[in-house]
Amino acid sequence: MNGILTIEGLSLSVPTGHVIQGRRLVLDDVCFSVARGSATAYLGPNGAGKTSTFRILCGLSRADAGSVRFAGEVVCDARVRGGLPAHRFGFMPEQPYFYRNLTPRELLTGLGRLSGMSGRQLGAAIEDWAGRLDFEAVLGQPLRACSKGQVQRVGLAQALLHEPEFVLLDEPLSGLDPLGRERVRQVLHEVHAGGATLLFSSHILSDAEAMCDAVVVLDAGRVVHQGEIAGMLGKSERWAIVVEGDAGGLPAVQRVELGHGRYRLLVDGEAERDRLLNALRTSFGCRLLSVEQDRQTLEQAFISLLQDGRAS
Amino acid sequence: MMGALVTGLQGAIRIGRMSFLDALRNRLLYGVLVFVVLLLLAGLAVATVTMGRTELLLLDLGLGAISIIANLMAIVTAVQSLQTEHAERTLYVLLTRLPSRGWYILGKFLGLGAVLGGLVVLMVLILALMVGMFGQVHWLSVAQALLATLFEIWIVLAFSLIFANASSLFLAILLSFCMDVAGRFTTTIHQFSAQAESGLLRWLGDAVYYLLPNLEAVNLRNGAGDIASFGAERVWSVVLYGSIEVALLLTVSSWIFSRRNLS
Repeated sequence: MNGILTIEGLSLSVPTGHVIQGRRLVLDDVCFSVARGSATAYLGPNGAGKTSTFRILCGLSRADAGSVRFAGEVVCDARVRGGLPAHRFGFMPEQPYFYRNLTPRELLTGLGRLSGMSGRQLGAAIEDWAGRLDFEAVLGQPLRACSKGQVQRVGLAQALLHEPEFVLLDEPLSGLDPLGRERVRQVLHEVHAGGATLLFSSHILSDAEAMCDAVVVLDAGRVVHQGEIAGMLGKSERWAIVVEGDAGGLPAVQRVELGHGRYRLLVDGEAERDRLLNALRTSFGCRLLSVEQDRQTLEQAFISLLQDGRAS
Repeated sequence: MMGALVTGLQGAIRIGRMSFLDALRNRLLYGVLVFVVLLLLAGLAVATVTMGRTELLLLDLGLGAISIIANLMAIVTAVQSLQTEHAERTLYVLLTRLPSRGWYILGKFLGLGAVLGGLVVLMVLILALMVGMFGQVHWLSVAQALLATLFEIWIVLAFSLIFANASSLFLAILLSFCMDVAGRFTTTIHQFSAQAESGLLRWLGDAVYYLLPNLEAVNLRNGAGDIASFGAERVWSVVLYGSIEVALLLTVSSWIFSRRNLS
């Protein structure tokens, strides 16, 4: 695998208490790799250590042990709190808020210049991202007058403005309405299709499932799973068939009433599915509505993974 | 090496510009400005009941009030600005774009220093116009007092940035305020401790004298009240002391900030 980011044995502890200082382990020997050009979801329950990992990657915290390699070069370890190279990555923190009295245009101009952009190129990029992320109407009004969702989109724009090859996003879809989420998903798809590598954390697993091809799951500071999303979901042998009418006599493992005379019938394996479909053809009181593989969602797989891990 | 220095300096100027614009549009500062004008009008009322040299009393009272209020503004603005940027994670997107954290501290100092400096200039101009209604304004001594007050608030701003980095909002304001008060008495503390019999007390007095910024060393306000303008040597000593003190405090602030793990 051509890994753009490789994390090896990363550990971090934080001080606890006020007078007598103890330490709590937040990251415990975290190891994973992100393939160049991939979209990787970094998942975990609250307090698992996702944001702490991002802080180390950004050079905001120093790890107690371990190292981070970016494009083959060590960028931070227990001695150096370097962070990823500034012009090659974009970062959006969770629920960012920026200078309240600045307009999105002024903020993006300032941040764009800090990223080495200038002049006409910067102005055009700001207009472009404002259009793509649907906040062009508020480009000239102070950020304190913008909604939470608009600020969130400005936050995403500042991370993508300088077209970085690696994008680090902490909960990019939180606080957005369904339309806003769809817009951001679309933009992230385009950025990914353009060749950028994405690593992002999210608690909205349906979005992660729709956007990512790889997943790293963290629980209590340890990596409990990493690999392709398809591998985590597994290959389901179960089929779901929705029918309308009298489904009483049809062979099925499970029968769920959906209301209005509709039933969802579950069968295991293709042979059973074909047997049920044959039975439907000869059944006069029942009409076939849909046939689909009953696939496990990422959310279900995530919950099972964590529950199984904690039980064992 | 040179490239990193230029990049860092450009970054500091850009952060300074954003901080400047943000602070300039902060309504709180305008509230303070209105308060100062009211305070000066009150001073005017006091000055009118005095016998003779009304303009000198007004100038003395006004410069003192401007100094106190500008110092408080410097403390609150520095601490609030830094802590808000940390709490709202603005700091994160700025730091990931800079070669080192010291440039951020320099940028904050430049931005906030420019806003506070501008407000002090404005307040002194308003005061000078009011003084002009009662008598002649001695512009040279007023300008010298203004220059010294600017260095004073920049020193206060620089040490407030240290505390804003290293402690909570309330504690940072409290410590900065204590430092501000102590900074006006360093010479007195030194003179007292020099008379002590205990060697430890004398040593402590010396330590306080050399460690704390001496705000009286950048005070030329009394001269303005007495219509006396200072010689170039005294003015240059204010500029030199103020510049060195600010540079030292910013270096300490950058060193502390660079060692912190941000959470």
